[in-house]
Amino acid sequence: MFIQYFFASYMNCSGSISAAPEALHPSLWLASQLARSDTRCIDTGHPTLSAQLPGGGWPTGTLVDLLLQQPGIGEMRLLRPALAAVAQRRIVLLQPPHPPQALAMAALGVPPSQLIWLRATRTADALWAAEQVLRSGSCGALLFWQNNIRADNLRRLHLAAQAGETLFFMMRPLAAGQDASPAPLRLSLRPQAGGIEIGFVKRRGPQRDATLFLPLNSYLPNRHAPVDRTAPAPVAAGGVHTELVH
Amino acid sequence: MASPYAQDAGVRTGMRRGGVLMLLPDARIHERAPTLEADARQAVALALLQYTPQVAEGEESTLLMDVGASLRLFGGIRALCRRVRANVRALGFTASLACAPTARGAWLLARANAGRAVRMEALLRRLDRLAVLLMPPARPYAAWFDGIGCHTLGDLRRLPRPGLQRRCGRELLDLLDAAYGLVPELYEWIAPPETFRARLELYDRIDDADLLLAGAQCLLLQLTGWLCARQLAVERITLQLEHERGRVARPPTSVEVVLAEPTWRDEHLVRLLKERLGRLTLEAPVIGLALEALQVRPMAPPNASLFPEPGGSEEDRMRMLELLAARLGPENVLQPLPLADYRPEQANVWVPVQQKVSARARDAQLPPDVLSLPRPTWLLARPIALLMRDHRPFYGSPLRMASNPERIEAGWWDGPETRDYFIAEGLDHTLYWVYRERIGMGEDGPKWFLHGLFG
Repeated sequence: MFIQYFFASYMNCSGSISAAPEALHPSLWLASQLARSDTRCIDTGHPTLSAQLPGGGWPTGTLVDLLLQQPGIGEMRLLRPALAAVAQRRIVLLQPPHPPQALAMAALGVPPSQLIWLRATRTADALWAAEQVLRSGSCGALLFWQNNIRADNLRRLHLAAQAGETLFFMMRPLAAGQDASPAPLRLSLRPQAGGIEIGFVKRRGPQRDATLFLPLNSYLPNRHAPVDRTAPAPVAAGGVHTELVH
Repeated sequence: MASPYAQDAGVRTGMRRGGVLMLLPDARIHERAPTLEADARQAVALALLQYTPQVAEGEESTLLMDVGASLRLFGGIRALCRRVRANVRALGFTASLACAPTARGAWLLARANAGRAVRMEALLRRLDRLAVLLMPPARPYAAWFDGIGCHTLGDLRRLPRPGLQRRCGRELLDLLDAAYGLVPELYEWIAPPETFRARLELYDRIDDADLLLAGAQCLLLQLTGWLCARQLAVERITLQLEHERGRVARPPTSVEVVLAEPTWRDEHLVRLLKERLGRLTLEAPVIGLALEALQVRPMAPPNASLFPEPGGSEEDRMRMLELLAARLGPENVLQPLPLADYRPEQANVWVPVQQKVSARARDAQLPPDVLSLPRPTWLLARPIALLMRDHRPFYGSPLRMASNPERIEAGWWDGPETRDYFIAEGLDHTLYWVYRERIGMGEDGPKWFLHGLFG
């Protein structure tokens, strides 16, 4: 962050600089630009969202904070393309708020054979399990639901995530957005008619106050189309072949 | 033998009990126990079998290892010495380690605590400076050697051989020739036992998991040596924690570790045992440990690929899951096994990861068109009865039915369900999966329940 501000002020003072900072080093960028990611990114599957994220996707091997208004607002549909992309390896659900349903996950594109559901009775056990999963690096994604977590534990998990290429999402309540977090990407999610509303709490790029509405494929069937109505029969000309009529 | 602290106080080998107690009033004096010493040598030999199959027991509490064929595998003589030293220390013993091109030469160097001599010339130089009395056959003639001024092995070699043989016997010359590499040496190598069972007596009553783990590590080290020597991999081990025999005899607590992937290395076993011992609540202090290998199979060579997979091998994955199950408990590490049932609770079955589930059996239970079923991602463990306001179900806000009903009526054989499921939408556009009980309607209208959330 320091380098980012430094370059912005430097540009203003001197007025001219021979090379653009982003050309000097990959980890430099102007405050008005999106950073380039130094880790591999997985496409979000939603082009409008990808355009707003540094690296153009969900970064692997880093902590990504998702702040939810409540569980069950479309967060899994938002992650569906990314989860399907990493589903050749195991996907671990650690302490989900309610029992996950394998059929629904299969409908989202995650085969049931790749799912692991971890339950922990104590917070220390859950944190330990998250760290083991991240350090082993043999899982495609880790989704970790935890309401209260201390900042040093978050930092520890972030470090553990950097050891591998696991896609790591922390699901926390909206109120946790007030606390500091080492996560380079923090998004807030709120439900919206026909989709989800994404707020950018923190990202490596320009501050964006406006929320982003993302349409998600709905579970709701189109209530008006499939009426049981017989389709009009194609008109046939009295049993005579059409070519023969003329 | 005296400890370094006792030696600083002036205690020497051969002193009487009264003399020692005068120098050190709180000295602890133990009788030598030859059987315990033999057990200890056996334990160390078993642990060292992981470096070479050729380990033999020498005179005066020494172990001889032929490591000529193992040097490259373990990264050279220095690295090997370091590992052996660390293993012996982990077993709780102190040893003086020496290496030489001949076994008898190494034996002499170790007895004199004179270090390594890797090349033959260096060995000859070192041996020439060693004391004559290090050799057991020379000790009865100590006074005579002293009288003729023969103090070192170099002096001894300069004496005429026929006269030396007549005075001191054949063994002295044989030993000298063996040390200098003039005659071949023959040893009887230690054969590992058919089955593995090692026991460790703890020095105190212990109820701390960390200390127990340190004891278990000693036993695992022996297990590693045994497995390497017999070319086996272990699938199931049990660690028995023996309790003190008090007024009531208490059976030993048994910790059984079952592995999905057989292993012959101890790191994974140590990690698993650490988590298992951490979870264990002991009823009584432990005075002894016993480790047994219950199930073994031939060691399979590692299946290495040219380009390593990014996510690690399947074995790594199984190891991680085993480790998680060891701490969280097997009932908390779950995989889905959906059941072909109309009722959502019965269809959503999760079983422990250790249970083997074939992919075909799992796929057979899935409906052919998964996408057509509107099922919520999160299914509440038990449905929540909803409040009614203005003849509408209410959950945070009044719910609006957003879909046609899906009628589920099944299970007359166990727990029948007659429900109409709807997707309901709250004022904040959150989607809920709610149902209406069709039978058992209350007097104030139908009963509504919340059963799932659409993630």
